[in-house]
Amino acid sequence: MLNFLKMLATPEFFYSIIRISAPILFATLAAVVVEKAGFANIGLEGLMMFAALSGSLVSYYAGSWFWGFLAALATGVIMSLVMGFFAFKLKTDIILVGIAVNMMGSGGTLFLCKVITNLTEGKAMASTTGLITRSLCIPDITIPLLNQIPFLGRVLSGHNLLTYLAFLFCLLTSLMLYKTPLGLNIRAVGENPDAAASVGVSVMKIRYTAMAFSGLMSGFGGAFMSMAYAQGWSLDMVSGRGFIALAAQAMGGGECLGGMLSALVFGFAQALGIKFSAIGLDSNLASPIPYAVTILGLVIFALVRSSRIRKQHSAAALAKGKAKAES
Amino acid sequence: MTRKREIRFIIIRSLVAICIALLVATLLIFISAGGDTFHEKLEATGEALRQMLIGPLFRMSKKKGTSFELKRLADILAAMIPTIFTGLSVCIMFSANQFNLGAEGGIMLGAFVSAMVAIYVPMPAGLHAVVAVLIGGAVVAILMLLPALLKTKLSVSEMVCSLMLNYIIMYVIKFLMNTYLADKSRGQIMSYPFRETSAIAPIVNNTTFSGAKLTWGFVVAIVAVILCGLFMYRSRWGYAIRMIGINQAFAGYSGMKVGSVIVLSQVLGGFLAGAGGGVEMLGRYTSFSWSALPGYGWTGITIAILASNNPYMVPLAAFFMAYLSKGCDLMATYAKVPAQLIDIIQGVIFLFFAAEQFLAKYRQKLVVKSAEEEIARLNLNKEG
Repeated sequence: MLNFLKMLATPEFFYSIIRISAPILFATLAAVVVEKAGFANIGLEGLMMFAALSGSLVSYYAGSWFWGFLAALATGVIMSLVMGFFAFKLKTDIILVGIAVNMMGSGGTLFLCKVITNLTEGKAMASTTGLITRSLCIPDITIPLLNQIPFLGRVLSGHNLLTYLAFLFCLLTSLMLYKTPLGLNIRAVGENPDAAASVGVSVMKIRYTAMAFSGLMSGFGGAFMSMAYAQGWSLDMVSGRGFIALAAQAMGGGECLGGMLSALVFGFAQALGIKFSAIGLDSNLASPIPYAVTILGLVIFALVRSSRIRKQHSAAALAKGKAKAES
Repeated sequence: MTRKREIRFIIIRSLVAICIALLVATLLIFISAGGDTFHEKLEATGEALRQMLIGPLFRMSKKKGTSFELKRLADILAAMIPTIFTGLSVCIMFSANQFNLGAEGGIMLGAFVSAMVAIYVPMPAGLHAVVAVLIGGAVVAILMLLPALLKTKLSVSEMVCSLMLNYIIMYVIKFLMNTYLADKSRGQIMSYPFRETSAIAPIVNNTTFSGAKLTWGFVVAIVAVILCGLFMYRSRWGYAIRMIGINQAFAGYSGMKVGSVIVLSQVLGGFLAGAGGGVEMLGRYTSFSWSALPGYGWTGITIAILASNNPYMVPLAAFFMAYLSKGCDLMATYAKVPAQLIDIIQGVIFLFFAAEQFLAKYRQKLVVKSAEEEIARLNLNKEG
């Protein structure tokens, strides 16, 4: 046990937590912003799958990670706008739109991969892992000075470009939501669309913007999965991160900072799972840990929230009683 | 709007949605089709489409021409068995406006549990399969209490919870199979064979039907359809489920026990998914070897949307999906177009079926026309 704890207290472990949290954080930010705008985008999983595929394919054909990266972002944004069209214009239940995108994101990406690359490994599987080399992935960045600090340097430096962007975006998104007119509009539309419309805010425009933002973040997340986390795209590689992000959004109380903390918790759970399987635990028992932690986290969050509401209620009732007694 | 017009509108709308999906499919097939020139590609596309649309029922050969084949129909009907169950399961859960996506994990768990009963619990023939399927269903029903209770007591998203459960179920089953239950004498990871008493017999005992695995499970599935239909449209509970789906607050104010009805809907949904897994497992296989989620749950969601949560329409929707999926398989075999095209077609059809405003203008025209006719008739009556 002590040995195991010693194994955890290494910079590599903390490094891996941050690395694993990054894609979840991207998706969480997407979930936070659309939730603020008053709806839920459960298609993040599928969006990330498509973005991951297009990122790795374009980087292969263009021969540069940068174009692949841009393609991933564009894929995320365009697809999310199409989702928005179905949800807002054709009045499809947004949850069902999300389910449809997730469905396509699983088998549909495999179809596209097979068609575009003409690759078929064995009977059913195809992936782009054979095509992508290290130079086609998004580069890691060593931060000067920071990497000189003994323990912290090895935890914080040397991450992928996108990992830093994830945490930077967490800050930026928070600023966007609370310090810019756009953020105010998004929150207003989420709180009360009619009131927002009455003061001249175009509700549709704001909803599409929020949707596009979630697509952009999924694009980042997808690019991270296929161009940084792994070398190349493979079937179902996002493996529930889009869904875990929905839970992280709820657990974070719908705020960026809270979402980031929850994303780190899930990153921790996954890193722990990997460590467990490293010391001999069956990987089939280690893999479900993040999913179980997600349910557990949701339950704990809900318990805390309901007890807080109860306290508020009783406090309000007490205050009321007091006011009555005094009058 | 008159009832006749309403039905006509629904049919036209469905057809247009399907046509759009097929158009998208044609485009994708064209892109992926082999051939160097435009003409060659077009020919390959035509061949692939023919395989996809006609192939599921007819054998096509250059010499003998196109001929109907009973075996292929039996194949399709057999393929409907699990998806009818998941379709019904999703219908009931979605009717209560609960987006529980646990049918996918549910059918795997049901299949697994039924398989275990079929292997380790000796029982007389006939009874064995029934008990195994019921236990499979019951276990999943109990499991579905988790998202249902968390939703009603703590308002935890049933969707996220059920999705996470799917992953957990898959990994735990894989773990149990790998470490404890696998038959080590076989090349791949599979359980010991089921006891012969547990097999679900084919409906007709000839090579065509038993080869297609068209078992009594199909009859059970149809019976389940009728029972679910009666439950949803003829029982107090079904009515409550539908009302809660339409307007939860109103249902609450009018005195329905919203919480317990929501729990009921998900437990029933879980039972159907689990039982479906059992029927599929004992009817089609002789030992358990699933190592990943089977995908029937997602197809079930599409089916429920196509059937607009009406249990009686589920077999039709399931037939349609089974037909398409078989078509895509044939296309993959004969025309080298990857079979996963089905997922894209499924997604597109799904989107257009669920789109409320799709063809809304046309509907509006029909409504106006009906109203005008009504007014004309009234005027005529007045004059006459």
